[in-house]
This record gives sequence, C-alpha cells and structure tokens, in this order.
Amino acid sequence: MSREVAPPTPSLNPWLGRERLAGLSLVVFGLFALWAGSDLPSFTQDGIGSGLLPRALAVIIALLGVVQIVVTWKDTPESTGSWPIRDMLPVLIGVFLFALTIRGYDFGAFAVPVLGMSVATPLSIIFAGAAAKDVRFGELIVFAAILTAICIGLFRYALGLSLPVAPWLIGY
Amino acid sequence: MIETIEHLGLGLSVALTLQNVFFCFVGCLIGTLVGVLPGVGPVATISILLPVTLSLDPTGALIMLAGIYYGAQYGGSTTAILVNIPGEATAVVTAIDGHEMAKRGKAGLALGLAAIGSFIAGTFATIVIAALATPMTKLGLLFGPAEYFSLMIMGLVLAVVLAHGSLVKALAMIVAGVLLSCVGADMETGRERMTFGLHMLTDGIEFVVLAMGIFGFGEIFKNLADPEKRDVVRGKIGRLLPTLAELRENIRPILRGTGLGSVLGVLPGNGAILAPFASYALEKRLSDRPQDFGKGVPAAVAGPESANNAGAQTSFIPLLTLGLPPNAVMALMVGAMMIQGIVPGPQVIENNPDLFWGLVASMWIGNLMLVVINLPLIGLWVKLLKVPYRLLFPAIVAFCCIGLFSISNDPAQVMMAGVLGLLGFALYKLQFEAAPLALGFVLGRLLEEKLRQALLISDGSMTTFLTSPLSAFLLLIGLVALVIAVLPSMRKSRDEIFTDA
Repeated sequence: MSREVAPPTPSLNPWLGRERLAGLSLVVFGLFALWAGSDLPSFTQDGIGSGLLPRALAVIIALLGVVQIVVTWKDTPESTGSWPIRDMLPVLIGVFLFALTIRGYDFGAFAVPVLGMSVATPLSIIFAGAAAKDVRFGELIVFAAILTAICIGLFRYALGLSLPVAPWLIGY
Repeated sequence: MIETIEHLGLGLSVALTLQNVFFCFVGCLIGTLVGVLPGVGPVATISILLPVTLSLDPTGALIMLAGIYYGAQYGGSTTAILVNIPGEATAVVTAIDGHEMAKRGKAGLALGLAAIGSFIAGTFATIVIAALATPMTKLGLLFGPAEYFSLMIMGLVLAVVLAHGSLVKALAMIVAGVLLSCVGADMETGRERMTFGLHMLTDGIEFVVLAMGIFGFGEIFKNLADPEKRDVVRGKIGRLLPTLAELRENIRPILRGTGLGSVLGVLPGNGAILAPFASYALEKRLSDRPQDFGKGVPAAVAGPESANNAGAQTSFIPLLTLGLPPNAVMALMVGAMMIQGIVPGPQVIENNPDLFWGLVASMWIGNLMLVVINLPLIGLWVKLLKVPYRLLFPAIVAFCCIGLFSISNDPAQVMMAGVLGLLGFALYKLQFEAAPLALGFVLGRLLEEKLRQALLISDGSMTTFLTSPLSAFLLLIGLVALVIAVLPSMRKSRDEIFTDA
C-alpha cells in the first residue's frame, strides 16, 4: 500500500500516537459540536426539534472517540510523521488571495478592488507554486501567464461563465 | 428481455446524436486526462466542471459527467502501470503487477489487457444497469419515508463494513459527515444550526466546497508533505494488443472481475474501490502459481481492471433508480441533476426516459471510445506524465479556485474550501478515510428529512421503522452486516483482501 508506516519510536508520548490522537480528536470534535448546537431545542411541541439529531450525532462521535482510545490503548504509539504546515502555507495564501481579488473584498477599513481573473489567477498560481521544494520562479511566472490566458479563454469566452476578467482595464 | 432491448434501442437513439456523442467524447477525454494525472481525482474534476454543464441540456451534461467518471477509472490504470502511482484509488491494485510487467517491457500487454477487460466489463455493466433499472424503480416506488430511512441506514452500515481499515474510525467519519450536513438553516423551521452567525454557513456547507476542499486541496497538501516517488517507465511500451492465446488465458479473470465489480459497485461507500481488491484476492486464490502474484502476472491486471470498471458503472444503479448516491462522485451527479431541475429518484425513468436510457447507452459508447482514446494515444499520455508536479499542482489550485468561485459567486466559499483542505490533510495524517465522511454528508440531509417525515406520518412513534416489513428487513440486513463485520474471523478475512494486494 502507498501509505508508509512510520517506524515505532519508543520515546513517543502515547497521547501523541496516531491512533490515540485520532480518538482524542473525535472527542474534541464531538464536544465542540455539542457546544455549537447547545442553543437548539431537542424537542418542540410538534415533535423533533432542530437540535435532536445534531446533539445525538455529537454524542455518538465523542463516544466513538472514547472507544477508539480504549481499543488502541495498548498499541505501540506510532508517530503521525511531520506536519509541515509552513510548507503548505503558500498554497493557502494563494487560495485566499484568489478569493480576495477575484471580485474584490470589503474589510470595512479598506477594500480590495475588483481585480478579476487576470490578477487573481496568476496570483494563486505563483503563490501556490512557491510551495514546491523544487520551485523555479522564472518557469513558474511564464507558466502562470500562459495558464491565465487559457483559463480566461476557456471559462469566460468558450464557456460563457460570468467571471470578471479585468474590470480595471477592459471594464468587465 | 425484449423490453430491455427496446429500452437500450431508445437509449442508443438518444446517445448517438452528434451532440451527445461529442459530449461523451469530451467527457471520456477529460476523464482520461484526469485519471492519468496523479493528484487530480474525479471528485475534484467533476466539481470544477459542474458550472460548465449549466449551459448544456440535461442529457448532454450527465453524459459528459458520467464519461469523466469512468474515463478517470480507465486513465488511472495507465498511470498505475507506467508510473507505479495509482492515478485513482481504484487503480492501487493494478499498480502492483501492472508496473512489474512494465518494468519487464510488457507495459503494452498490461495496457492492452486493461483496456480489453475494461471494455468487456463496461459492456456487461451496461446490460446489468438496463436489466435492473425497471425492477429497481418499481421497488423504489414502494418506498415510503420510513423505508427510505432504513435503506439509507443500511447503506451507511454497509459503507462502514466495506471501508478500509478501522471500523470505529469509518463509523466516526460517517457520523461526522451526517453531523456536518446539519450545519445551516434547518429545512423545516428555518432555524440556523451551528453557524456561529457566519453568513457563509447560513445555507449549510456546499457539498462541492467540502469535496474540493478535502479531495482537491487536501490531496495537494498531502503530496507536498509526503511526495510520491515517480518512476516513469523509460523502456519500450511494447506490443499493445494481446495475442489470442494471451486473451484466452485472461478471459476468465476478466469475466470473474466483471461479475465481482458489477455486484460490489451497487453497494454504497467503498463498493467500487473494494472490487479490484476482491478480484485480486480471488485470482490469487484460484491461481496455480499464487507465489507469482506481485511479480507481474497478467491476470492480476486484467481481473482488477475489469472489476473497477464494472463497479464504476453499476454504482449508477442506486442513484438512477432510487435517487440515493452510493459515493461522492454520484453525489455530485445528484448536484448536476438538481441544477438541471431533475430530482433523482424512481420517477426519473418515467418522466425522462430519454435522459435515463440515453445516459445508460452512452456508457457503452463511452467504453468503446475509451479503447480508441487510450490505446493509440498512449504516447501522448506518457508525455503528459512527464509534466512535473511543481507545475501541475499550482494549475490544480487555480482550476479549483475558478470552479469554486463560478459555482457560488462567493469568495468566502473559496476560502472555506482552502481551510477544509487542511482538515483533509489532518484526516490523512490520522488515517481517517475521507470517503465515508463524504457519503455521510451526502445522505445526511436526506436522512433527516425522511426521519422527520416518517415520524410525522406515524405521529412520533419510532416503531414505524419496525412495523413496516420492508423497513424492518432493511434494518435487519444492516444489523447482520455490522455483527458479521465485528466478528473476529470476518475482520481477519476482510483485512486479508486488502493486505493481499
């Protein structure tokens, strides 16, 4: 199978082992959902209220988390491996920049203008591409320019979707 | 029997119009492309292309989307054989012996057998769909809310049983999916649930956003953290068409795989994914030389490939006849049908026979096209495989962003998908399967709706699920399946099917 099993590390805190962590996450998620839905009525005079199903599901998830912790209690804890969040951050920034610039965004104090596909697409490509360990910026910039042209041609003109292209330049 | 042929005739007359043949071809081509490129799944692609189908007529739109789905199954095997990376989850098994064959200069034979097996499987599965459609629809019309509810519960239980790995985790994922589907305005009272006052959650979480976040962005994060080794076959591909003797040797595995796939594909959840594993295990058990499996046995490619193609197609049955999507891709098809104003369910076959039979017949045409697209154009796909991932994934990011924005016209949804990508990565790290989550999410709203309807009819009495014989029977099957799955001996053989491969 493609998933590599990390070699057991004897010094690993058992609460950081993959299986117990998984159970713990379920408990936390279940409790969070219970809290999130705590304002909803379980029953009304007409029958089931809007809170009954979410509450029941949240309890089940938390309980399954406990079961998961119990059944894997004696297993040798396995590391979850690295969580290179910093390496992924550029991708997330690229996605957010796309969202902020495609149709503009009003933060109240200041507003991002509507920049359209012509700006949002290359921004997302270049930032996301920066996440690769073997990134070559020259190549990436050329690639972004070509792909942006293709995307505008495909989505706006060939498929006729009403996406803003470059309102600051051509008015739409 | 005569009826089935008549129906297929009607279907062919619809599917063979120039326009629909074109959509079928485009779908198969895009699907193959998606299947060949590792890191872009059919779920993400269909999500991206959903807004595109807005401008098409319903039949053309569904024909194209279906083509993407089974085309991707097909393309996935090319990558599995040539690069040893399964392009799709269902091609994991093919990668084992297929790549070994490729290393020995028999890539062509592996590709050819996969293509022929898939075509045979596709043909058979089309007939199965056509034959089962009418009786299943009649059954569906007997279902009231209580029966639908019990059927979904049974389906979800089966999905847990068939899931890969830990039962507890799969169960938790399904329940979490149902819970996530509760977010947003309650459809009965309109009351906002668990939205934290966030405007973007008022209408609930869009399935497309969830799917693109977890399957699209999540997959990218996963590949960035743990890059897959690419091992493109440098040598010759060799002869593509098998000789008659080779074909005769492999026809039995192909037929067995087709049968297994057709049955498992109908089951909810991992059915279609399980099929190739089951076929591999079966062939290994039946083989005279099981020790050769893993070293490049043609039957270990032909069988599983047929199984996954058959399974991909028969998974349309629950959707088309009962209106219940058995997996994430089918859930997107529900979305596509709703956009076009067609409510999936047993009434579709009656109200839109052209669409129904046209779609079924197009699957057979599509399978024929896939043989044509795949075998002669293999050189093109090999070139495509050489596109480095450092350029591939930024392109996927851009396509996902554009797709998400054009569906919702709301930048907040794009951001939400990005954040859900992190959730997808966390699930991968903790070894939770995302597929049951998606299934639970998809069936969640329907489940609550039917639950409430049933209780309304029965004046709030829970016994309504047991007093209806059909409903009680469905719940019983679910219960039995769960009990069997928990039995230690059954657990062991289930794990064997997966670890054999």
